[in-house]
Amino acid sequence: MTEPEKHLDLEALLSDALRPIEPPERLAGRLESTLTAITEQASAELSSWADELTESELESLRDPRNLVRPVTALAVGSAAAGALVVVGMRRRSRRPSGLIQTAESALRDLRR
Amino acid sequence: MTEATGAAKAELDRAFEDLYRDHLRDVYSYSYYRVGNHHDAEDITEQTFLQAYRHLERARRESNGRPLRPWLIRIAHNLAANHHRDRSRRPQANIEAVEPPVHPHDTEQIVAGREELRSVMRRLDDLSDERREALIMRFALDMSNREIARALGKSDGATKVLIHRAIKQLEELIEAEDGTPREAGDD
Repeated sequence: MTEPEKHLDLEALLSDALRPIEPPERLAGRLESTLTAITEQASAELSSWADELTESELESLRDPRNLVRPVTALAVGSAAAGALVVVGMRRRSRRPSGLIQTAESALRDLRR
Repeated sequence: MTEATGAAKAELDRAFEDLYRDHLRDVYSYSYYRVGNHHDAEDITEQTFLQAYRHLERARRESNGRPLRPWLIRIAHNLAANHHRDRSRRPQANIEAVEPPVHPHDTEQIVAGREELRSVMRRLDDLSDERREALIMRFALDMSNREIARALGKSDGATKVLIHRAIKQLEELIEAEDGTPREAGDD
């Protein structure tokens, strides 16, 4: 066998051995759950911060360290909620019910 | 949120949706061949897309319209490297342990071909990480030299040489395993 033929043969074998692997169906669900968890965590952090604000509003406003938390929570929550909606859009065709509610609920939580 | 930022956010979400839809299989395949099992491949794929979402805006800005697949695979590559580092003290599956996927061939082909494929998988594990990764990108993901170069942070020329040497080394390893003498003048 000539050198180019051998290369072709090995490349064909490699193509056969390293076929693309289909991801399991449950993977999109996992990603959705993770994004939901992040959204809820960020939402809870915002809520907790709001409680503190009502109790010691003036003190908190004077302390710039407290401003970091809500801003971070808002950023993380918004990003996760966006991604959640996006992943949800992809899954909509497979699972028409439930997902949109989850995304809408997550967004509602964030807005509270 | 202003109308302008709302539109920008919607555009970013559409871009993420496209990225996710177009490359989920690529990221999963790459992760699977790097870690050798579905469980860890799912973890890495999930983390890859979470990181991608966080940094997508910047990546799009800096890509100047070039495809984002190499960037995505580079994220998976870094996560897989972290995974191996974290688990270096524990036993782990390597690519040799990956069973060649079953595909629709006829029975005779399967019987004749499976051992050949196993041999390729075994010998892939003898390559350096970089050579093995380049071959995974080329053959499992069908990436071009340019895309592989971007994913590995190398020049196009260096990547071409890397792939050529990887194939040549693999060929020599398989021949040595088979006990087939190399033909005179092969080099």
